[in-house]
Amino acid sequence: MISMFTLAIIIMVLAIIPCIYRIIKGPTIPDRVIALDAMTTVIVVMLGVYSFDQGSVFFMDVALVLSIIAFVGTVTIAKYLDEGVVL
Amino acid sequence: MSLIETALDLLSNAFLLIGLFFVFLGMLGLVRLPDVYNRLHTTTKIGTLGAFGVMLSLLLKVGFSPIGVKAITVGLFLLLTAPIAAHMISRAAHRHGVGLCEESVIDEYGKVYTRDRKEQE
Repeated sequence: MISMFTLAIIIMVLAIIPCIYRIIKGPTIPDRVIALDAMTTVIVVMLGVYSFDQGSVFFMDVALVLSIIAFVGTVTIAKYLDEGVVL
Repeated sequence: MSLIETALDLLSNAFLLIGLFFVFLGMLGLVRLPDVYNRLHTTTKIGTLGAFGVMLSLLLKVGFSPIGVKAITVGLFLLLTAPIAAHMISRAAHRHGVGLCEESVIDEYGKVYTRDRKEQE
């Protein structure tokens, strides 16, 4: 009997494939940024589920740090596209 | 297993299914929709509803242990920051000159933006 959280991990691994397709094919730069952001969110959720599956707290720290880095990176690229400078 | 534990288990499974369903919808929209703004609108649902649903499911499953508290922290952080990031990247895309798809009917922000620029000049 396969558990619910194993099913969740399988679905999220499959959900990375459309993101990579959009990163490679996407016509403009915001397309690629959006796909990277979505892929990072999926990886964060996958790390959370994996942390419960292994019974270890440390993967949840990795998920928190990865979500913060993804937010800062998206805001930085948005500012760079908008104004031409980062800071 | 008592009644409360069974109810929490059922609620946890329900929230996990809701989160997975929204992740699936977001990926479907990321492949199928025609425009940057349409795709942005559908991928933000992964950050809010999908991630928050799965993290709430983990909290309901393990209770207030370290894993549960950190899970709900990650969920609340994503719930707060995903709309902000989506708003910033869509505004940057519009000012960068990324057009709308051909089926679009109205573009109010474009009119406002060009009027602002004329007033500045």
